[in-house]
Amino acid sequence: MAVPHYMTSGMGGIRSAGDLVARMQFSKNMKIEKAKEYVAKKLGISTLEIADEHIMRELREELKIGVVTGVPGAPRGIAAKMNIEKLLGIKINSCEIFRQKTKG
Amino acid sequence: MEDNKKALYDAMVSCKVPSIQGAVENARKAGLAATAIIDTMSEAMTQVGILFERGKLFLPHVLSAAAGMKNAMGVLGPELIESGGMSAKMASVVMGTVEGDVHDIGKSICSTMLQCAGFDVHDLGRDVPKAEFVRKVKEGCTMCGMSALMTTTMTVQKEVIEMLKAEGLRDKVVVMVGGAPVTQAYADKIGADIFGETASETTGKAKMAA
Amino acid sequence: MTQFYTRMGDGKRVLMTREQMINDLQAGMADAADMGGVPDLSSNELEMILEIITDRNRVVGVEPGNEVVLTYDIGQLDFTGDNGNSGNGVDVGRLESALLHERALAADTFELAHADYSIKPVKPIISNEMQTMEQIQQQITVPYFYGAMPNAGLYYAPDGPYGNPADLMREFKIEEAMAAAELTADHLARDIEYVATRMMSAGADGFNFDTTASAGDADFVGTLKGAGALRKACPDAYIMIGMAGESVMGIHGSIEYDGSIVAGTYPHQQVKFAQKAGANVFGPVVNTNTSKSLAWNLARAVTFVKECVNVSDIPCHVNMGMGVGGIPMCETAPLDALTRCNKAMVEIAKVDGI
Repeated sequence: MAVPHYMTSGMGGIRSAGDLVARMQFSKNMKIEKAKEYVAKKLGISTLEIADEHIMRELREELKIGVVTGVPGAPRGIAAKMNIEKLLGIKINSCEIFRQKTKG
Repeated sequence: MEDNKKALYDAMVSCKVPSIQGAVENARKAGLAATAIIDTMSEAMTQVGILFERGKLFLPHVLSAAAGMKNAMGVLGPELIESGGMSAKMASVVMGTVEGDVHDIGKSICSTMLQCAGFDVHDLGRDVPKAEFVRKVKEGCTMCGMSALMTTTMTVQKEVIEMLKAEGLRDKVVVMVGGAPVTQAYADKIGADIFGETASETTGKAKMAA
Repeated sequence: MTQFYTRMGDGKRVLMTREQMINDLQAGMADAADMGGVPDLSSNELEMILEIITDRNRVVGVEPGNEVVLTYDIGQLDFTGDNGNSGNGVDVGRLESALLHERALAADTFELAHADYSIKPVKPIISNEMQTMEQIQQQITVPYFYGAMPNAGLYYAPDGPYGNPADLMREFKIEEAMAAAELTADHLARDIEYVATRMMSAGADGFNFDTTASAGDADFVGTLKGAGALRKACPDAYIMIGMAGESVMGIHGSIEYDGSIVAGTYPHQQVKFAQKAGANVFGPVVNTNTSKSLAWNLARAVTFVKECVNVSDIPCHVNMGMGVGGIPMCETAPLDALTRCNKAMVEIAKVDGI
């Protein structure tokens, strides 16, 4: 059911900014409008644009926060999440644990 | 007399066994006939079922009311037989959740409601082997109720129907099916006679078929 | 008179007139308002649902700008499940499934799940689950939860240490049944804390309690207590509590959470308990009646969910799948019905996610 749900109303995950909006909902209990506004402000675009694949593709690559397809040198996974932490001003559990493990 | 009936009805809907017992005793002392007492309690039990389905009463309440009614039947049974008011059971029903499936709350509620409606219910519980349903039909049950809560197990209902056919028993039994994934279309497809969306709907349809 | 193709609650295609649909919309709404004691939809909102249902296009969608977050239950099991287990029977690994959801299926979050998908059986294999969580967290970008059903049924006989309330009540042992349910709630809460805190230490973003209260009110109370313990131990954990059904079944009948009876509560009441327990997101459920039309089911579901969203201080991600949220009870949910339900939930009930 993932495909029809995405086509009907989904933000698109890392195709756009769905993961970022989800992180604000879960980390700060933000409802959808507030979470979108927060993310849009951090990205410097409008709330309409954060679900626009064309705009977000370039932005995600530029900000190194993970893209859908394999772009040489573009981080995904833990590296992308560390950049998301900085972008959104939040802590992500897996990054915290990664840092603890890599502490001298 | 009407006051006693009302008190009895209210006690049943309050679902407290001691209150029901007290109301039955008061009704008897006031000279209410055993048949009138049981009729009033059955009427109240229907209301309990409705309140349960509307989320106003819960399972322990339904069972407490049923326990109150069962106790009353124990006390009033001899009088009912003597007066000729003890009607024959509506039908003998085997009930169970099919094999491979351990969900039996809905089925148990349905069994209780059938019992309160006057059916002779043989509830085999959950994860019931297919052959057990067939065996009970051979022993005389004229209705067979099967519940399944999973898409994995709803197919067993069809298998039991096929077994009943193979044994030449299908025409002698009314088959009822229910459970979350089961629909009227599925019941039609597998050749069941009754599909119940809820326990009270099943009971209503069973009464009409009995 | 013009007729429109629409669906019944079991997925069957039928033809209905606008007038028939309007009648069903009003009846479905009235049923929710009556059952849950929630406000009616406005005539404008009913008109909007009618417009969505009677749209001549095969699929419908929300207006740009109205998109919402999509979270997923059941993890990789939607691919791997087979033999009647509601999956596709494609035996991919858990990493592959997670990355496919992230990179090919546009999921905004995803989760790791165990084949049994219940809290209790995770205990003996907790190390395996932690190891897999650690590995997948290195590669995935979207929030990645651990997900499981509280499934209090596994604590009752024959699968667990406590008497089965269904058996006990059949013998009219009401008090014993209630005592067994109370013990189960506490045991479940302890197991949730054990499993969830360990998964958090392995890097999980949070925990998804899926199909909460499937075994009734004690299941709900156990989950709320467990979620509360997780919140205390891991203040930053993402916690999602999704329900099993629209109303909490009263197997115990009077068990309480924070001084209130939970049995018989509907989404707009359940969300308050979830908030108190420390959930970040709540997943309301409204069941589909297979004998009623899409119009009836959708109006009913939207009426319930709209009020839940209205009263909630946390985001609500409504459950939208087979037999819930107005969608027909059909494993291969008809596309036309699914997209209509989705659009109505987003644009009329104003959900924060699906």
